[in-house]
Amino acid sequence: MSTCCLSPQEERIANTAMTDRRGRERVYTILERNQFSVPHVDIERALYFTRSMQQTEGELLTLRWAKALRHVAENITVYITPDQLLAGRVGKLGRYGILYPEIDGDFYSEVMKDLPNRAKSPFRISDADMKILVEEIAPYWEGKTYHEHLNQVLPADIRGVTYHDERGLKSKFVVSETSSYRSALQWVPDYEKVLKRGFLDLQNEAKTKLAALDMTNSRDVWDKKPFLQAMIIVCDAVMIWARRHVELARHMAAEEGDLRRKAELLRIAEICSRVPALPARNFREAMQCQWFVQMFSRIEQKASAIISNGRMDQYLFPYYEADIRSGVITRDEARELLECMWVDMAQFIDLYINPTGNEFQEGYAHWEAVTIGGQTPDGEDATNDLSYLFLESKRDFPLNYPDLAARIHSRTPERFLHEVALTVKDGSGFPKLINDEEVVPLYAIKGAPMNEALDYAVSGCTEARMPNRDTYTSGCVYINFASALEMLMHNGRMLHYGNEVIGLETGDPCAMRTWEEFYEAYKAQHLNLLRKAFQQQYVVDRLRPMHFAAPFSSVMHNLCMENMQDLHEYKIEGGVDYSYFEFLGYGTVVDSLAAIKKLVFEDGKLGMAEVVEALRANFENHRPVREMLKSAPSYGNNDPYADSIAKDIDRLTQVEARRCSEERGIHVDVRYVPITSHVPFGKVVSATPNGRLAWTALSDGSSASHGADRKGPTAVLLSNYHTKNYGMTNRASRLLNIKLSPKCVAGEEGTRKVMDMIRTWCDLKLWHLQFNIVNRETLLAAQKDPDSYRSLLVRIAGYSAYFCDLSRDLQNDIIERTEHGDM
Amino acid sequence: MKDSDQKGYVFNIQKYTVHDGHGIRTMVFLKGCPLRCAWCSNPESQHLKPELAYDEGKCLGGSDCRRCITNCPTSRIVEVEGLLSIDCDICDPTPNCAAGCPTGALSVYGRLVTAGEVLDEVEQDGVFYARSGGGMTVSGGEAMFQPEFALALLRDARRRRINTVLETCGHCSEGALLEACGLVDGLIFDIKSMSAERHRLGTGAGNELILRNFGNVCRAFPDLPITVRTPVIPGFNDSEEDIRAIAAFLPKRARLTYELLPYHRMGQPKYRFLSRPFPMGDAKLDPSVMPRLRAVAAAR
Repeated sequence: MSTCCLSPQEERIANTAMTDRRGRERVYTILERNQFSVPHVDIERALYFTRSMQQTEGELLTLRWAKALRHVAENITVYITPDQLLAGRVGKLGRYGILYPEIDGDFYSEVMKDLPNRAKSPFRISDADMKILVEEIAPYWEGKTYHEHLNQVLPADIRGVTYHDERGLKSKFVVSETSSYRSALQWVPDYEKVLKRGFLDLQNEAKTKLAALDMTNSRDVWDKKPFLQAMIIVCDAVMIWARRHVELARHMAAEEGDLRRKAELLRIAEICSRVPALPARNFREAMQCQWFVQMFSRIEQKASAIISNGRMDQYLFPYYEADIRSGVITRDEARELLECMWVDMAQFIDLYINPTGNEFQEGYAHWEAVTIGGQTPDGEDATNDLSYLFLESKRDFPLNYPDLAARIHSRTPERFLHEVALTVKDGSGFPKLINDEEVVPLYAIKGAPMNEALDYAVSGCTEARMPNRDTYTSGCVYINFASALEMLMHNGRMLHYGNEVIGLETGDPCAMRTWEEFYEAYKAQHLNLLRKAFQQQYVVDRLRPMHFAAPFSSVMHNLCMENMQDLHEYKIEGGVDYSYFEFLGYGTVVDSLAAIKKLVFEDGKLGMAEVVEALRANFENHRPVREMLKSAPSYGNNDPYADSIAKDIDRLTQVEARRCSEERGIHVDVRYVPITSHVPFGKVVSATPNGRLAWTALSDGSSASHGADRKGPTAVLLSNYHTKNYGMTNRASRLLNIKLSPKCVAGEEGTRKVMDMIRTWCDLKLWHLQFNIVNRETLLAAQKDPDSYRSLLVRIAGYSAYFCDLSRDLQNDIIERTEHGDM
Repeated sequence: MKDSDQKGYVFNIQKYTVHDGHGIRTMVFLKGCPLRCAWCSNPESQHLKPELAYDEGKCLGGSDCRRCITNCPTSRIVEVEGLLSIDCDICDPTPNCAAGCPTGALSVYGRLVTAGEVLDEVEQDGVFYARSGGGMTVSGGEAMFQPEFALALLRDARRRRINTVLETCGHCSEGALLEACGLVDGLIFDIKSMSAERHRLGTGAGNELILRNFGNVCRAFPDLPITVRTPVIPGFNDSEEDIRAIAAFLPKRARLTYELLPYHRMGQPKYRFLSRPFPMGDAKLDPSVMPRLRAVAAAR
């Protein structure tokens, strides 16, 4: 492949000085002050939360949580970032992360000291803060965290595939729970409701309900009353916190010498005295209100991927349109406000204390998805001028926040698609695309009202949420099916774990005479892990409500308010529970099975003993075996030989998921979205029969194994399509990455080809698609000279990260993905 | 014989080509060519019949692997100081040596297939053609070097409603070319030089037949979209006079575009695999040439 042209992102990096900053002086100033520094830990949230929780033991958890949030709101330092137009952050200036000791407080003393030095995503912490953490915060939580509870109650056979140490700190990376290093799955609150009503009105709703309770009814007295009290308190909490910014802004204005900044601060004070208590009246108030809601959501809990922004181009549009029409704001001013939000969003890091959690999403990953495009609840196209403004901002301002997601449907206007394609070509990987033609009917048929399904927001990495209908919040189980394959090859064992029997002892594969016999044994290993995973998840679902509450999320959720139940409760009437589990190593498993079927059982070119021996030796001195295995039919080439195996594995997984769903009365769906976890999960898997070397990354999501997709991007899409089992519904998102070289997409003609590809992807009803348009040479150069490539963004599994923030492993992984040039 | 049963030699079918015709296309490369252009980037396309190729870079060598030596029925492959020495033409369309090679170091360029098999593969990407206006581009070698096969492909494609483009060097039977042009949705026609003598030196044949065929096609199919292409080759046609002469020769008509393709050396390794010398050596195109020549071409 030759480097014939650079993507605009690469050009910007090559000539940093030439970046056009006109109209963006403010956001560049804020960005450059912070963006490339090592982040620090801010402990205030953890401290005030803990102090309050110490005072409220024995009360309803939702009420305790609300009181704790109020205590945090009253005491946490309030900030207005210098030069910012939006008030509010929950930690000191610079890139920062905050702590949630209710999740992991029990092992701070062991782990925190390593934080500044760890190789992946290090953090700074002051000695004084460290002392408070270890001496005041951690001791309270010892014996109380959810993670300890889970570790205690998991039965031995499930524990054995879950953890690799007594305390449950180290994952086994076989059937991994992810519920113990986050409070909840990714989430989208109903921002629109807050913009329209304000928290005073939401609080009044709770007060009215409280007044109407029957004090002779036990449920009313013991469940609903404290719940509603919690709602009232949490509304107070967010309003108190917002009000404190009024005083701060006025104080800062009084001290400010620069007249322009002084005026800005006074305007901030005025806006904060209005929202989020009262309805927003204009675009500036709406933006500030939204920002307060998302920042306070961060204080409430550690949702996976932080907190998503919902359909911003929809709920902000009425304010934007009115302000533009009346001349209150210009389009450039609106864009500046959005970008002000992005730069402060970028400073908040999703800090993982748990070493396993950190492995799952490295690169300081967080992705507060912003959804644009798609359809209205009536099924009309929803694109508006704000949708275009978001795309323009993303093209011209090289920042990986927010994670922009465009909803595409069969009638997406050509202009929108064109601007999406232009933005994709820009090279930073945004926007990712989510397909209405897959998500909407699937969500509707699984029980959501059609108008709400049409109104879904992209959430977290690739998921979709209906803010007043979704009610499932447990972190999902990650299943390493490449390990099932390894257990098949080594009679229930994994070389990494020595002689421990982890899976089923299906016997010596060399004794298996037919492909059918071999495949049956694989399926037994596969189902064994799947069943253990479902059992594990059930325990998770049952335990979480004892440890986590979310009064702030609940007050914004229609069903929580109707039923007077916390969002984290096990079941909420009227809710849909779309839970999922993660399939790791799809391509690895499929390619390995196809290779064995073809070479051992059909062509007889290799003996099983030869393969097993080569795997044990990690192919050392067995290069010909490895090369033959690599050249077997593989997933990602639209080859029915491999794809039929892939489809069958997806099918049997869904059949079992369906059985589990019926048992539990919720939807349990298979998902193929590893974030970055295919790297750590690969580290426990020895060599596999697709020629993959021991301890290297597994295949990524529903993408092909590294370098195995040799037929170009159309074949990648078609393989995905042909393996999907559209007749079944126990499926969730499938992450699909396609990397194109800039040459493929050069010029207006290239833009057209990207649009064509997106249209066809939409026709194929694939869930997700993201493009990565960079040159291999660029990535190699960035490895050699990271300082010159600090701002190089790459796509990893649903979000973009700075390439140089990633570990060497993951960098190599990205480089190895087949680049679909067109020579 | 049914068109779909017509057999021919194909050396590659490449999905997702986006630079040879409208939309997202699949290129079908037919084997065999009447010209021997010194700069040819697909040397495996020149001969009609399948050829054995050896990529020593991929070869595991005699210490790790001796499969081809063992598999050869006539003992024509021997090891000389760790490297293979192959002293044979291909013995079979799917020879044991290549079939058993783990790495693909030994491989065969070209296979005999039916038009139906080719089109089944082409149709796999039908959903992409539908959205992009793409389809199949028949190329070579020289597609019209196997006229019966090329025509069968184009006729069967038309029955299957696949959009088709033919890429030709123009050195072929006039009758077959005109028949093909009646079947296609677009034509890519190479014109390399207006000088018959230079053309003969560079390609092994004069340009008389090519220019005559081009004129006939233009007259017979006034509405056919035609792209004329000139590969710009250092020392052969990389002067402004060369390009100006070609541009001047092109008729004024609505559906005609003129493209220049810069010389590249991507094909060089394949010469080595086929144990052939690379005629162009280290020749390179002066980077300043293309912008100047493109300006000349655009001034047509």
